[in-house]
Amino acid sequence: MIKFHPSEQHLVLYTAGELSPAMLMMVGTHVDMCSHCQAHVRDIEQQLARKLFGDVEKQPVERNSSLDEQAMLQAIFNSQPATETGVVAANDSLYLEGNHFKLPATLARNSHRIGDWSRLPGKLWRAPVTVGGEEMLNFIYMAENASLPEHTHKGNEATLVVNGVFNDENNEYRDGDFVLLDNHHKHSPATQNEDCLTLAALEGPLHFTSGLSRLLNPFSSLFFK
Amino acid sequence: MPPAQPDNAEHAAELLAKVASEQSRAAFSELFRYFAPRLQAYATRQFGNEQTAMDLVQETMSNVWHKAHLFKPDRGSAATWIFTIARNIRFDFLRKNKHRQYDLSADDLWPVLAETNDSLDDDYALDDDLLLQQLSVFCEQLPNAQRTVIELIYIEGKSQQEVADALQIPLGTVKSRTRLALQKLKELIKHDD
Ligand SMILES: [Zn+2]
Repeated sequence: MIKFHPSEQHLVLYTAGELSPAMLMMVGTHVDMCSHCQAHVRDIEQQLARKLFGDVEKQPVERNSSLDEQAMLQAIFNSQPATETGVVAANDSLYLEGNHFKLPATLARNSHRIGDWSRLPGKLWRAPVTVGGEEMLNFIYMAENASLPEHTHKGNEATLVVNGVFNDENNEYRDGDFVLLDNHHKHSPATQNEDCLTLAALEGPLHFTSGLSRLLNPFSSLFFK
Repeated sequence: MPPAQPDNAEHAAELLAKVASEQSRAAFSELFRYFAPRLQAYATRQFGNEQTAMDLVQETMSNVWHKAHLFKPDRGSAATWIFTIARNIRFDFLRKNKHRQYDLSADDLWPVLAETNDSLDDDYALDDDLLLQQLSVFCEQLPNAQRTVIELIYIEGKSQQEVADALQIPLGTVKSRTRLALQKLKELIKHDD
């Protein structure tokens, strides 16, 4: 059971295509995994379509002279269907540390964007997902009994559990859970006896707050290469 | 005025079905007269540019004309389907303005117009577990003309038609170069194993 979902606003912006590329991937992947949000997105599509096309009376359509309907119709009838784009085959398999993960559809379609894995201190692995935009999108893999030092963020951090379970001070997060933390939250994610593959979108560099781990601040640059 | 307007969901779905099954120009024209002006009003507000707005209308409605068979009435209304097509085209317009080839495309996120079966016919589908990174090494070994076509299609995500237009060569040439290059790549990969 998925307990944590993107907000209504996230789903609306996702459906309209108005989030950053990293967040579009995050929300899209959650929607792949969550039938509840899938139904919600279909409703939102309907509402947006109604807003665009409906209510002729309230929103009179100006007959704009620049739209020559007859000419455009002819142009369309004479046009050739576009050949399929995006011929890169979807790949829903991800192999890491002897584990096989099945990727949700949005990630499978974009598997060619997944970069090389690199090992980080503390039983962590990271692979960038190149999607463009200002925000960084990374896979973070935590082995069993791994932990990230307590940290806050200069910007927002969104984390989506693709497979496994991790916990922080407040909650336990499992497959499909979508967690959004703003820069006021301090948290220290950790795994117990299960590993965890997550997708993380970071708006700003991680900033470590507790004791010794402050020395690790240069470590945050590893997330931003 | 016909008694039923395309804003009646059932009627719009019937019109789309007619476009799909018999390429009915009359059915399409009715859909067009309803949706095109509304799309134009929306796109003009969005882009603040008449020409871009017209391009969005034409590209959206061309897709409706050519891809009507992909409309699935059980998934949503005709208006909703057309909205998702327009949303995708708007997304790609905004992206293309930035000239960034690694950016996500609308199809990567919402494959509204993906042909479920025919899109990956055997000639063009590569083995599932073959990642692009590995491919780039082998691509180096292709003749220049073939490599250019492969890069445009598989890395930049262009359609074969777009490649033909960009290189000013016939579509048939693009197809044969793609086929030859993929054959060569498959050989190279087999050899490597
Ligand atoms: Zn959900």
